[in-house]
Amino acid sequence: MNKKAIVFLLVFAMVIVACGDTAEEEVAVEATEEEHDHEGESTLEQVQERGFLKCGVSTGATGFTEVGDDGSYSGFDVDYCYAVAAAVFGDYSKVEFKQLTAAERFTALSAGEIDVLIRNTTWTQSRDTELGNDFGPTTYFDGQQLMGRVSDGLSSSSTLADIDGLRVCTNAGTTTEKNITEGAGLVGATIELVTVEAFSEAIDKFIAGECDIVTTDGSGLVGRRAVNDALNDWAIFPQSPISKEPLGPTYRSNDSQWADIINWTVYATVIADEYGVTRANIDSFDYDAAPEMGRLFGKNDGELQTKMGLSADAYYNVVKQIGNYDEIFSRNLNPLGLYREGGANARWTEGGLVYAPPAR
Amino acid sequence: MVDLIKKNVKSLQESLFSSIGSSVLTIATTYLVINFFRGMLGFALTSDKDWLAVLNNMQLYMVQAYPEEDFIRVWLSVGLTFVLAGLSIGIWRSEERVKSSQVFNSFFKGGLGVLFFTIIAPTNASFMGNDGSVITEEVFSMDSRLGILIPVVVFCVIFFSIRFINVKFTVNSSDMVFFYLFIPVALLWFVKLPTIQLDQNNERIIPDPIMPIASSTKIPWTVIFVSFLVSYFIGMYLKNIKSIKSIMSLSWFLLPLLIFSWIFKKPQIDMSLVLGSDLPIFGVFLLWGFLVITFVNNSIFKKYYSTYLGVTFLLTLAGVFSGLPMLAKTCLLLITLFSVVVPAVSTSSQGKRSLLIVWAVALVTLTFLLRGGASDTGIVVPGSSIFGGFSLTWLLAIFGTYVSFPLGVLLALGRNSKLPIIRIVCTGIIELTRSVPYITWLFFASVTLAVFLPAGVEFNLIVRVLMVTAFFSGAYFAENIRGGLQSIPKGQYEAADAIGMSPFQKISLIIMPQALRAVIPTLVSSAITAFKDSSLVTIIGLFDFLTIGKTVIGNQSIPVNFVGHDRENLIFVAIVYWIFTFTLSRRSMKVEKKLGLGER
Repeated sequence: MNKKAIVFLLVFAMVIVACGDTAEEEVAVEATEEEHDHEGESTLEQVQERGFLKCGVSTGATGFTEVGDDGSYSGFDVDYCYAVAAAVFGDYSKVEFKQLTAAERFTALSAGEIDVLIRNTTWTQSRDTELGNDFGPTTYFDGQQLMGRVSDGLSSSSTLADIDGLRVCTNAGTTTEKNITEGAGLVGATIELVTVEAFSEAIDKFIAGECDIVTTDGSGLVGRRAVNDALNDWAIFPQSPISKEPLGPTYRSNDSQWADIINWTVYATVIADEYGVTRANIDSFDYDAAPEMGRLFGKNDGELQTKMGLSADAYYNVVKQIGNYDEIFSRNLNPLGLYREGGANARWTEGGLVYAPPAR
Repeated sequence: MVDLIKKNVKSLQESLFSSIGSSVLTIATTYLVINFFRGMLGFALTSDKDWLAVLNNMQLYMVQAYPEEDFIRVWLSVGLTFVLAGLSIGIWRSEERVKSSQVFNSFFKGGLGVLFFTIIAPTNASFMGNDGSVITEEVFSMDSRLGILIPVVVFCVIFFSIRFINVKFTVNSSDMVFFYLFIPVALLWFVKLPTIQLDQNNERIIPDPIMPIASSTKIPWTVIFVSFLVSYFIGMYLKNIKSIKSIMSLSWFLLPLLIFSWIFKKPQIDMSLVLGSDLPIFGVFLLWGFLVITFVNNSIFKKYYSTYLGVTFLLTLAGVFSGLPMLAKTCLLLITLFSVVVPAVSTSSQGKRSLLIVWAVALVTLTFLLRGGASDTGIVVPGSSIFGGFSLTWLLAIFGTYVSFPLGVLLALGRNSKLPIIRIVCTGIIELTRSVPYITWLFFASVTLAVFLPAGVEFNLIVRVLMVTAFFSGAYFAENIRGGLQSIPKGQYEAADAIGMSPFQKISLIIMPQALRAVIPTLVSSAITAFKDSSLVTIIGLFDFLTIGKTVIGNQSIPVNFVGHDRENLIFVAIVYWIFTFTLSRRSMKVEKKLGLGER
């Protein structure tokens, strides 16, 4: 009797569970529809509703994303996260950082776990077209370079042809590896490629003399040369990098309002730099003499910003709280030995590539 | 005394130089070992290494971005753990006595260890300079070596000879714990290790040699040590109270839950939710439990009890997959379990009364903990989680084990079940989780799990990781426990049946205790694996203890430039992991010894 009851119950349970499953599916279908509704909401609305910005940054990149000894964030990329928050909320601190590994950064962006990805990500054609992202204006023009010892006869004016027969260390499985092989092949130099897991290992091998050349993005090389106090012993070359690595913010495709906000946050810092508006002189600056600055900061007419869905003084807050491009750059990268002068990151009027469309 | 030395020399000769072959082996290995330690010490002492990269980032290592004004919460969590440990040591105080000679012997051995390292430490160490040249520097001068050697030799001689003077007393082995803990706490006050300070130009200034190590932590640690001591005496006093041991075990179970849901988290309580949702649910389930207890001996209810159980089970199943509040879902699970247990326990009116108390207390605790767990945290951090560094590793390890162990027991029982559906489902879960790598499950948690969850349910990444971890290590626990179950002779089952035990009693009183006892070593090694595997979360961007050392500090240029100092941090991380896993395995060895395992 008892057993029969149990068997009956089990069968009943199975039926219920089976029905439950279908009910579950219906719920799921509704859910995805709801989510689509939610996605119909623009990113700006979502961010404003939530009350803070979710910004994807690197797990660790010297000068770009760093975590201090008290857990606070700093760096070039981090400052641009702060800048976007300052534009949207008028308060730079309303950011939640999400540290992402290279493998999961694009998935996190398309899954909506972050609103914007500012994680030293190179803008390439395939990433732009295939992954459902769009790239904002480049904030840092990087490029792959090589570093060798002066004692090996290398100098900053050396070229790829000079590394013929040398051992080159780089980290495996990256475009860095591909670039150096292709580049050396083009000039007919035969190299012995030593690949390691991480760049810090490559540097260790280089210091230990197990390889003659180490190669990665220029910003990384300069940083390590400064840390190891080897300015006169190590030479970085060639003058123009062997690859182009434009780094900048990335956001989801098909949300032009959000894209405009990010883009103009970057442009506002660049324009402020062109006019010499800094955190220090922003309130004493003569805006009547520079109407473009006045428009951008909402001093006399804030219509351009309000049309974007922001407050009129959104970009004033950016420069007031974070600073202009030059301030952000020198604060984070000058201590590492990276300077704007003479490089691609100089102002366009000084031969660089940092340029913004006019604000009018 | 001469006899003793002769005896020792003889035994050394026998074990190390018994034949030509073994002499060669002894000399060769000694040479290798000494060189290994020399290399290691040389590495640790050269100026090329910056150990301040570790010391300066201690806060980051422990709690990552947890705000300083709320540190009292961290200390409270640590302190509560120590108080509970003190109470437990007092209550379970072993009557074992340690002879004074044994204590002195261990001091002597410790001294010998220090002597060994001091003697073999290299005077000069070399490292590779930036231009590839070899730089040699003096790392351990003769003066400082003598400064260590002479006191230690005196110390060793004293403790060696003291064994021959007739000082014979014994020490309680539990009391020794306090002595061992006293040493590091006292060291905090006296040992001087610098932390970095910067001048206006962000240049390092010479560290202040007067500053003791971790000057901010010595007072909290001293307070914790004192309360540890006090609670030890309280525990000794409470020793004879009835059922104190089960209360302590329960407290150990609840403490991490309390820490993670209330103390560490600082929940912001929404009173309208407490009154509008928590209290009604609490009332309904309290009443439900009360009714079950009251009518359990009623003949009509008894007749349909299996039907009632089935209906409750179905309700639970339906409830878990519905949009009910978390509290209601958990209460449903609890009432199902409770209903299974009730008929077995509540036979007398006294049993009923205590059951009712147990039910009420369980519900209050559950409501309290879940309210804390479900509320928003009041801690503001720049990252997405208030847990980071060691607190995250700890959270993953403790909750991984907490959830996965019971799950493992259930899965193991299910796999051994005679009912085909349960067996197939359990086997399926075990085989599915075990046959996919843990890293794949982590990616699943980070990227795909959101797709499988019902709408509007959005879990924190850490919770998602805990979910997959529970199933993954649960499957391993299940297989270990199943091994134990298979070692139980069939006679045990039959004997339990013969004296009329219910299936529940049979499993919980006869089978499980024996099965678990048989697999303690494998269970502990599974727990250790789970603890170490928690570092794999680094690949989905969570900042556990290892990641802080590996990726974060090696990239720090602000406020102090530590770029490239990865090795020091990795060595530190390895040592900390070793301390914890070694303690765990030593403890389990003691438990095994106590249970007389392997003596059958």
